[in-house]
Formats: sequence, structure tokens, C-alpha cells
Amino acid sequence: MNSNKDYKAIIIGAGPAGVGVAMKLYNSGIKSVLILDRNDKIGGIPSFYKREKGGVKTFMRWSRGAYPVFGQDFAKWLEKLISKTDIEVKLDSLVLEIDAKGKTVTFVNPKDGKLSVSAEAIIMASGSREENIAERKWLAGARPSRVMYTKQLLNFDKNDLLPIKKPLIIGSDVIAYAAAAKLKAAGSSDAIIVDNTSNPKCPIHERLYFRFWTNPSFHGFNAKTMEIEGKESATGIRVNGEHFDCDGIVISGELIPNSELALIGDLKVNVLSRIPVINKNNQLSEPGWFAAGNIRGGFHGAEWCYFNGKRTAVSVLKYINKK
Amino acid sequence: MSKSGKLLYNWPDNNFDESLKFHDASQLGDIPYDVAIIGAGIVGSALAYQLSQYKVKVLLVEKNYDVGEGTTKGSSAIIHTGFDAAIDTLESELVTKASLEWPELAAKLKIPLRKCGAIVIAIDEEQEIQLDKVYEKGIKNGVTDIQKLSGKEVKEIEPNVSEKVRGGVLVPRESLADPFSASTAFSEIALQNGTDIILGVEVTAIENKSEKIKTLVTACGKKIKTKRIVNVAGLGSEHLARIYGGEEFDTNPRRGQFLIFDKYSGSEINRIFLPIPTAKTKGVLVAPTIFGNLLAGPTAEDYPHSYENISETTTEQLQLLKEGASKLYPKLQEQPVINIFAGVRSNCKQGSYWIRCNDNSPGIITVAGVRSTGFTSSPALARYLIGKLQDELGLNLEEDPDAIDSRPENKWPGWWKPGYNIKELVDENPDNGKIVCFCEQITKADVIRQLDSPLKPRTLDAIKRRTRAGMGRCQGFDCMVPIAKIISDHCKIPLAEISKRGPGTEISSTSTSNN
Ligand SMILES: Cc1cc2nc3c(=O)[nH]c(=O)nc-3n(C[C@H](O)[C@H](O)[C@H](O)COP(=O)(O)OP(=O)(O)OC[C@H]3O[C@@H](n4cnc5c(N)ncnc54)[C@H](O)[C@@H]3O)c2cc1C
Ligand SMILES: Cc1cc2nc3c(=O)[nH]c(=O)nc-3n(C[C@H](O)[C@H](O)[C@H](O)COP(=O)(O)OP(=O)(O)OC[C@H]3O[C@@H](n4cnc5c(N)ncnc54)[C@H](O)[C@@H]3O)c2cc1C
Repeated sequence: MNSNKDYKAIIIGAGPAGVGVAMKLYNSGIKSVLILDRNDKIGGIPSFYKREKGGVKTFMRWSRGAYPVFGQDFAKWLEKLISKTDIEVKLDSLVLEIDAKGKTVTFVNPKDGKLSVSAEAIIMASGSREENIAERKWLAGARPSRVMYTKQLLNFDKNDLLPIKKPLIIGSDVIAYAAAAKLKAAGSSDAIIVDNTSNPKCPIHERLYFRFWTNPSFHGFNAKTMEIEGKESATGIRVNGEHFDCDGIVISGELIPNSELALIGDLKVNVLSRIPVINKNNQLSEPGWFAAGNIRGGFHGAEWCYFNGKRTAVSVLKYINKK
Repeated sequence: MSKSGKLLYNWPDNNFDESLKFHDASQLGDIPYDVAIIGAGIVGSALAYQLSQYKVKVLLVEKNYDVGEGTTKGSSAIIHTGFDAAIDTLESELVTKASLEWPELAAKLKIPLRKCGAIVIAIDEEQEIQLDKVYEKGIKNGVTDIQKLSGKEVKEIEPNVSEKVRGGVLVPRESLADPFSASTAFSEIALQNGTDIILGVEVTAIENKSEKIKTLVTACGKKIKTKRIVNVAGLGSEHLARIYGGEEFDTNPRRGQFLIFDKYSGSEINRIFLPIPTAKTKGVLVAPTIFGNLLAGPTAEDYPHSYENISETTTEQLQLLKEGASKLYPKLQEQPVINIFAGVRSNCKQGSYWIRCNDNSPGIITVAGVRSTGFTSSPALARYLIGKLQDELGLNLEEDPDAIDSRPENKWPGWWKPGYNIKELVDENPDNGKIVCFCEQITKADVIRQLDSPLKPRTLDAIKRRTRAGMGRCQGFDCMVPIAKIISDHCKIPLAEISKRGPGTEISSTSTSNN
């Protein structure tokens, strides 16, 4: 086949999903692969869950008999897989924009500056983030310091800093309970977990698992509004006339796909949920564009994303071979 | 080149740059100031900038740990033409004048400004009748380039406007600008021209107010001598005026909440959509921002000074706001909100732009009620105040031939002119290609450049306003801690001591100020 593209495949994101795609493509004979990631290391979200002080195993290896691992170790495993191949990886490389028709991505990094590259197939594996305050719609109030997202908490971790001693967590899914466990393991008190649902979103067996570290109190509401308090740093929240005390707030969970590149690049995406339109062949709305992992919406663990990457790679292979 | 003024921060803990710390009033020398400006909002900063063109000794005092952190930071960021101002008022005169000079001024200051125009939109019969009044008022205010449009004409130039549109008035010169950089730019230039600036310093009393040389007493206990005082303390001006016994007036905070939408919503409308104004407010508008987002707001909620939660957002008002704004632009309901915030105006019952010279004490000027147009009017208001200083407060002014009035080309913010677009810049300094804020695509070099800039900003919010890092859809999810780390490394401040907006707002509860 005669192609004027720079690569057979470009993967945006070196998290579990991106690495899954890359490995499957590589092992199936597609060697011309470029992975781009804006982080300074391979591994995506898991790479931020470190081992040391405050380390809690929050990643499940279901395929290996459901045993829990540290995120960092899962990320290292992904890194090792890649290191045994000659797949090209560019780190510190943020993809700025895409050209859907031209199958081109433009990225920037400290070495190349701004650069555009093209491929026959491009796979978006850019993961998800947590919904911000405004996006939750029922959160408002003051804007003190020490109101942070879980990712920020993890970032502190790398610097051996416990940013909150008396935590209040807003959101109640697995990520919230994992955050409560991490904080407690690092020396904070048991967290207060608050959400706008009557029961915690985190399933019971996961909650029992985190009991080993902490027993956070859960307070469920059906409130129109919840207000953050604090003139300087966060001091609590108000909800339905109740006040909860804290010295810092973690806004947690409620993942929203990192699909803005697709949206701005005219691929079909539901604007409000940010969930991209994906057909049964894992393709986005333009031929040659695919999506894998948590960019597809919902909450999935890292291993699921890795396998989803592999499954998506099968669709990519079909597409490339057909051409 | 003239000598730079002193920049001092009242930063109590031990970790802050020693050379920038305000230890003692003697650091400012013992010659009394010709003019002390209290409040470094847009008005105080513009005044300092213009006074710095002359050979006078000026002090700018601000209680926050950055300039422009009061009312100035929470505005709609529109450079108004004054087409809808109350006729024959000082406000109308100043806004109209200033609007004409902003394009050139912005280019000097290196503040992005875009003339996008505005349309006052009528969506029912009653409003349609009012359009003539809006038009006539505009003409009377000297905004002669405005035009009446039919509903069909509005729809043609703004396809996403409500189907109900019955007509409009086009105001071509209404513009968007970066509200955050304006006070910074003014103050930076003033500092470079010799104005002394002290931050984190609240004026709490004035001694010898009737004497020729007065003494400012500050919350941190330091006393500073000055011949003249200009009170441009925004929401704090009434309290301050009571302290020195100025003529009585009443102000109250009027909250304005906003919704900010993600960038891909910014291109949905081309101009500022304005409702028919009422006696109380300009009403809820929908506008693109200079940054490429879309903004809806503000609300107008009056509270007494005693109301504690004045700068908070409320779910209920934001919901109403969204419904209101959707009347002009129905697709708003489908756009993703990425941020909510509240600004607070100072509403003066005695009227807007309430200015008193030699206010019961010789040498003191009180400025109050710069409510809804101060961003626009600031350069003209500053000149007006300089006139008063000369005519009524006996200030002699001689131009300073060494003074600068603009910032160099490399002061354009990184979000406006990204360094990574130029390969040589990346080769020279790889930090120009190291993105730290992914949503707004802000580089490490942008952050460091700001840390090294004249006002030496050290807080996360100060860096955010200057660079836009953290202003995007993820709201700091990815970049908050990495940026705190850059400040910590570059300025040798322990990470736990990095703060959002000064002492008491440290990002970690292990900060020494919490123990
Ligand atoms: C805060 C948070 C905590 C979580 N905690 C847990 C947990 O404890 N246990 C668990 O099982 N799951 C957790 N998850 C779920 C997590 O999303 C999955 O475990 C898994 O990491 C998803 O894999 P992914 O490859 O789809 O995305 P990610 O792991 O998010 O990887 C996406 C990668 O794409 C890169 N990227 C994104 N956009 C661009 C761009 N424009 N240019 C270049 N690179 C880009 C990112 O840097 C990132 O490395 C958490 C998720 C979040 C957001
Ligand atoms: C919701 C909203 C929307 C707006 N939209 C627009 C617009 O689109 N266009 C426009 O032109 N204008 C707009 N404005 C108006 C504009 O923002 C204000 O007129 C302007 O910012 C007022 O500036 P200032 O310098 O008077 O006040 P401020 O910015 O409040 O400055 C006063 C400063 O004084 C300090 N201070 C107070 N007391 C003391 C003390 N005792 N000692 C030391 N320092 C003290 C404060 O900390 C503060 O920094 C809007 C305002 C709001 C709230």
C-alpha cells in the first residue's frame, strides 16, 4: 500500500487504553506507531497513585484473580510493555488540535515546538477528568483555597505533602472512597463524604475494601444546592440548613470525557456529556478515527481500559488492512 | 530611563522573598508623598499610571496581595461606548471619552482588545417600542455610529439570535478586552516610572487629616506620610471616608453573578447581545469574551455591607440568569458551563461617580460609586482626577521626560501570542514548548515570565489572571499543583506555603500559618 502519511497509527494518550491499543497493533504487525502524551511519563491516571506514604492499592487486576495494585505499579507495567517495542513515544506533548478529514494531529512539546503529523488511523485515548464545580450544577458558594480535585490531591502526593487534615469529600463514587483512604493513610482524619444522592455511588464491596484504611461518614442529600464555605481557606459546606466542618474539600469523581479535541475538530460529540459518537466498530464520526478507554464515557477501571484498547485495536487493524 | 519605584509586600511569614518584604515604613524613605492613592483597582492603577508621567512622588496602597483583585476582577470585560449612559452626567462624559482612546491605549499597554460590536435586542412589542429611545439616547451621548436594525437584519448578522427578535440597535464600537491585565499593566508602568507600590497593606486610619502632611495608618502598624490622599477604594471607599470624616454618602454592594461557557461556544455569537436596559441595570447580557469563551450575566442583587456572603455564587440565581440570557440566545441552554463567579459593584445611592475634593479635610479626594463602567472610564477618570489634584488640591505637575507610557512587545500575554508558535523561541528556551495548563495551552515559560515581571506576583490567582492557567474547562484539575510547584521552585518558597491569594489562603493545611 502506498501512503503519504507519516505513521500507520497515531495514539493520543499513553494511559492504559492508549498502551492497550499500541501493544495490540504492534503485536499484530503494525510497527509504525506514534504515541503522544502531555504528561512526562507513560501510564495515564494510574501513574499518579504513588506507593509511598499515603499509598493505597486502588487498581484491580481482575485478569490476575482480582488482586489490587498501586496505580504507580500498574503504570510501570504499561511502561515496561512499551519499552520492549520500538514504538515511538513523545511525552510532554500536548495535542492542540486535529484535522479530521486530513487525519492530522498538531502537537507541541519542548523539543519539536509545534508540529503536525498524519496517520492512516488515529486513536483517541485521552481519558477523562472530574467534573468541575460549575459542571456539577448544584455546587456553588465561596471560592476559598484548599478546594481541590482528586487529581490535585494525587499531585500533592508526589511532593510528600498532606494538604488536608480534616477532609470533606464531595462525590461518593470509587474515586471518592479511594481519596478518603489515601488521605487517612497519609495522616488525615476520617473523611466526611457528601453527595447529592441518598446512597453512596461506590459499590458496597469496594466500600468494604477501603474500610481497611478508613471509615468515612457518608451524608446523602437531595438538595437543590450545596454551598462551599470559607473566606480564606475552605471551612466547610452548607446544605439543606446543615453545616459540615473541614479544613479542605476534595471535589471527587463524576468523570467527564476529555473529548474536546474531537469536538473542536468537528467529530460528532454530545456537547453537554462530552461523550463522542462511536459506532460498533469503535469508530468516531469520520473514517480512520477511533476512541478507546474512558474517553468513551462512564467510569471504568484501568484494566478494563487496557483491554478496551486492545479490542479497539482490532477494529483499527480491520480498517488499515481493508485500505 | 527613570528609576523604578519600590515594590513591597506585607507578607508576614518567613518564606517570602526578603527583598520584597515590607518590614518598616523607613523602607519608603522619609520624604512625604505628594499623593497617596488608596486602592489599586482599575481606577487607582490608571491614576498611578498617569501620575507617573509627571515628576511627583506617588504611593499606591492596596490591601490585597495583587492589584485589580477587588471589583475590577469580576466584570463583564466590555469597553463601553457610553451609548446608554445617563445623559449629561460625568459618567457619560468619561465613558465616551475613554472609549475613543482605548484602542490606542490597549496597544500601548499590550492588552488584547477586540472591537466586536454590540446589539441591543428587542424580542417583544414593548421592547421594540423602546428601541427608538435607545437609539436617540445613543446619539445624544455622542455615539453617532449606531444604527437601527430590523428583526430580519439582526437575524442576518447573528443567526443564533432568538427567533422572536423584532429589531435591534447596533453599536459597532463596543469592544471586548482583557480585564485582568489592565490594572496590572497600569501598575507595572507606574512602578517602572518611580511610583512606590505596597501590597497586602490596608489603610485603617488617617492621622493629622487637617494638616498639610497627613499620616496613613495601616493594619500592619506602619505609618506613612503624605500630602494628599485619593480614596479610590471601591467597595471600601465609604468606610474609609467615614474614618476621615468626609461628607456622608451611602453605598452598598451589588452582586453580579456570571456563567462562563467553554470555548467552542464562543464562536456561536459574533457580537455582544444586550437586552433593553432598565433604570437599575444594563441587564443580563450574552457576550463572547476576548479569551474566546462565551459569558452570560451579570445578575444585579443588592445587599447591605453587613452581608457576609457577598462574593458567593448561588445555584438559584445562576439558574434564573441562564433562563434570562436564553431569551436572547436560546441555544445557550445547550452550551456547557465551565465556570461560575460573582463580581461585586459598589452602588452609591447619591449617584454614580460620586466625587468630592477636599472632602471636609484639605488634600483628600473621595471617589465612590464607580459602579458599572469603571473598566472603560478609568483612563478618562484618572485624567479628571489629575485635573482636580491640580486645580483644587494645589498639586504642581511637571512632565517627566524619562517616563514610559507603554510596555514592550514581549508583554503580550502568552495566550494571545503563544511562544510555541515560533520554533526559535522553543529552541532558545524549551519551556516555551512545555505546556503546563492543557486547557488554555499555557507554557511553563509564560508562568515564569510572570513571576519575574515587575509586580512580582506570587499567588496562584495572580498568576492565573495574568496567564490564564487554570481558567479553562478543567479548572486547575491538571495544572494547579504543577504551577504551585513552579512558583515554589522558581521563588524558593516551600510548596505548602504557596497560596491562592495571600496569607491565610495557603494550598496546604500544613502551612506554618495554620499552626
Ligand atoms: C482523578 C481520577 C482518579 C481515578 N482513580 C481511579 C482509581 O483509583 N482506580 C481505578 O481503577 N480507576 C481510577 N480512575 C479511572 C481512570 O480513568 C482509569 O483507571 C484509567 O486510567 C483510564 O484509562 P485511559 O487510558 O482511558 O485514560 P487516562 O488514564 O486518563 O489516560 C489518558 C492519557 O491521555 C493523555 N492526554 C489527554 N489529552 C491529551 C492531549 N490533548 N494530548 C496529549 N495527551 C493527552 C493524558 O495525559 C493521559 O496520560 C480515576 C480517574 C480519575 C480522573
Ligand atoms: C458584575 C460587574 C460587571 C461589570 N462590567 C463592566 C464592564 O463590562 N465594563 C466596564 O467598564 N465596567 C464594568 N464593571 C465595573 C467595573 O468593574 C468597576 O467600575 C471597576 O472595576 C471599579 O474599579 P475601582 O478601582 O473603583 O474598584 P476596585 O477594583 O474595587 O478597587 C478598589 C481597591 O481598593 C482596595 N481597598 C479597599 N479598601 C482599602 C483600604 N482600606 N486600604 C487599602 N486598599 C483598600 C480594594 O482591595 C480594591 O482592590 C462591572 C462591574 C461588575 C461588578
